[in-house]
Amino acid sequence: MQAWLRQASKRGVPLDLPAHGRQLWRHTRRHPLDTAISLVVVVLIAWAAWNSATWAWKAADWSVVSSNLPLYLNGSYPADERWRPQLWMGALAALTLITLLKPAQGGLLRWLQRCLPWCWIAMIPMGIALLGGGLGLSSVPSRAWGGLSLTLLLTTTSAALALPLGILLALGRTSSLPLIQLSSRLYIDLMRAVPLIAVLFFGQLLIPLFLPVEIEINRVLRAVVAFALFAAAYVAEDVRGGLQSIPATQNEAASALGLSELQSLRFVVLPQALRIAVPALTNQAIGLMQNTSLMALLGLVELLGIGRSLLANPAFIGRHLEVYVWLGVLYWLFCTAMALLARRIERSGPPMSRHSV
Amino acid sequence: MNQSISTAITAHAITKTYANAHRALDEVSLEVRQGEVLVLMGPSGSGKSTLIRTFNGLESLDSGHLDVLGLRLDAEADPRQIQRIRKRVGMVFQQFNLFPHLSILENITLAPMRVQGQSAPTAREHAMLLLEQMGIAEQAEKYPAQLSGGQQQRVAIARALALKPEVMLFDEPTSALDPERVKEVLDAMRSLADQGMTMVVVTHELSFAREVADRVMFMDAGRIVECSDPTTFFTQAKEERTRRFLRQID
Repeated sequence: MQAWLRQASKRGVPLDLPAHGRQLWRHTRRHPLDTAISLVVVVLIAWAAWNSATWAWKAADWSVVSSNLPLYLNGSYPADERWRPQLWMGALAALTLITLLKPAQGGLLRWLQRCLPWCWIAMIPMGIALLGGGLGLSSVPSRAWGGLSLTLLLTTTSAALALPLGILLALGRTSSLPLIQLSSRLYIDLMRAVPLIAVLFFGQLLIPLFLPVEIEINRVLRAVVAFALFAAAYVAEDVRGGLQSIPATQNEAASALGLSELQSLRFVVLPQALRIAVPALTNQAIGLMQNTSLMALLGLVELLGIGRSLLANPAFIGRHLEVYVWLGVLYWLFCTAMALLARRIERSGPPMSRHSV
Repeated sequence: MNQSISTAITAHAITKTYANAHRALDEVSLEVRQGEVLVLMGPSGSGKSTLIRTFNGLESLDSGHLDVLGLRLDAEADPRQIQRIRKRVGMVFQQFNLFPHLSILENITLAPMRVQGQSAPTAREHAMLLLEQMGIAEQAEKYPAQLSGGQQQRVAIARALALKPEVMLFDEPTSALDPERVKEVLDAMRSLADQGMTMVVVTHELSFAREVADRVMFMDAGRIVECSDPTTFFTQAKEERTRRFLRQID
């Protein structure tokens, strides 16, 4: 308590407890209904918290989680090769930490933080290579991929494909060429009118029917392409919002300096538009991660898929609550990490001025 | 091309009509000589901003043609020709139009590096020299939003000068500034004029026109009303329209 008081007064919080007490007392006397509602809410919260805590400590049997950790992480990946997806996830976690750390003054960390964008891009081929094999690693078929590592791979690769595709669509949508504008608009409207599950079904079930039997496209790849095509339509609209908020005078200033239209787009308009679109794009990324769980219905054993297959195991029958609470915590953890990363990106840039028109 | 040695810009009966049928330029012909400072004055909507923006192709022409530094610009000018002109003609805008996501130094080095292919150290060295001339070298690492209006406009001048232009266009460079910031920008323009830069300036600053201009041109309703040296212009303007304008702004 003493320490807290000292800290609070350091932060400049006015600390006059007796005065606060008096204020509170005056407020309760003046607004009896407010007070009654507050009390009821406090009691309800306490009751819910107590019940959840006693369930988590006493009634719940967490063995369905603790004895299956490798499964949640890697699915049915061959046991001797599990270090590969784990190495990748470790690298992702390390990169997230480095990104979230305060900018360093010097040394290795400073150097790493300088090439962060490249490191993030490199994560995707690294993930595919580590999981799939090649370059001296034994190859592991995609049907053995699973768990958290598959969820993360689906999310990162689809996002990495959807972003450039979405930017192209947004540029097409704002293009002055009628044909390009029309086709971008058609694509965006069509994709937004179709439910994601339909797109995923199309990718998983219908495409193989159209192809000859001997050609079998990797199921994970088909899912990634479906997610990317779907998310790109939404990304395009977010980027378009950013593009439209950049005043035409920026383009004018760039072209007066002799920059070509493409250069003006690349160095002046797009960097500003994307920065404005970051909060909306974060939404898309978080939604994308949660949507990857739909693949559990279509035969990929990603995080939710592992949970479902464990619940089908007679040894863990009736442990639904434990499994879903655990999965909820995992999803919450990763979505929070994404939100933190996005906030870091938003803050890393220069102070934005209000554009004068 | 004897003419192009002494003439920077020639306009031959240029016309520009906007989509709402407003005729912004009505057969305007003029000549800007090398090394001269030409000040354009006129009421708002008189076409002076449109005129100056045709000189680097920001506004297209409907008819007539321009000779800018020996390069021809007409209604059918292709983008490459316009770009060739823009590399040799700098422009400063009323609202500065700095790039808010780039530092001051990056604002200035962007065009030299991307358009002229200069190396980063060369471009940076030249940019620092220009910032020193503008008296704001210590702001190089800041961002536009952290600078005052007068400082931003001086950065904009430095940015335009970074391509080593032969002509500088100023479109109401002090109109968006607080009164006490106007002087620092005008001083920068004055020293540029002293160095012999060819300048076309749209402005309402009478003292600048009086002291720095070689010629003052008055426009109204898309036409040039009259053009003379500053002393004649301010003391014995020929046209009644000019005298009325001068009475109003004085």
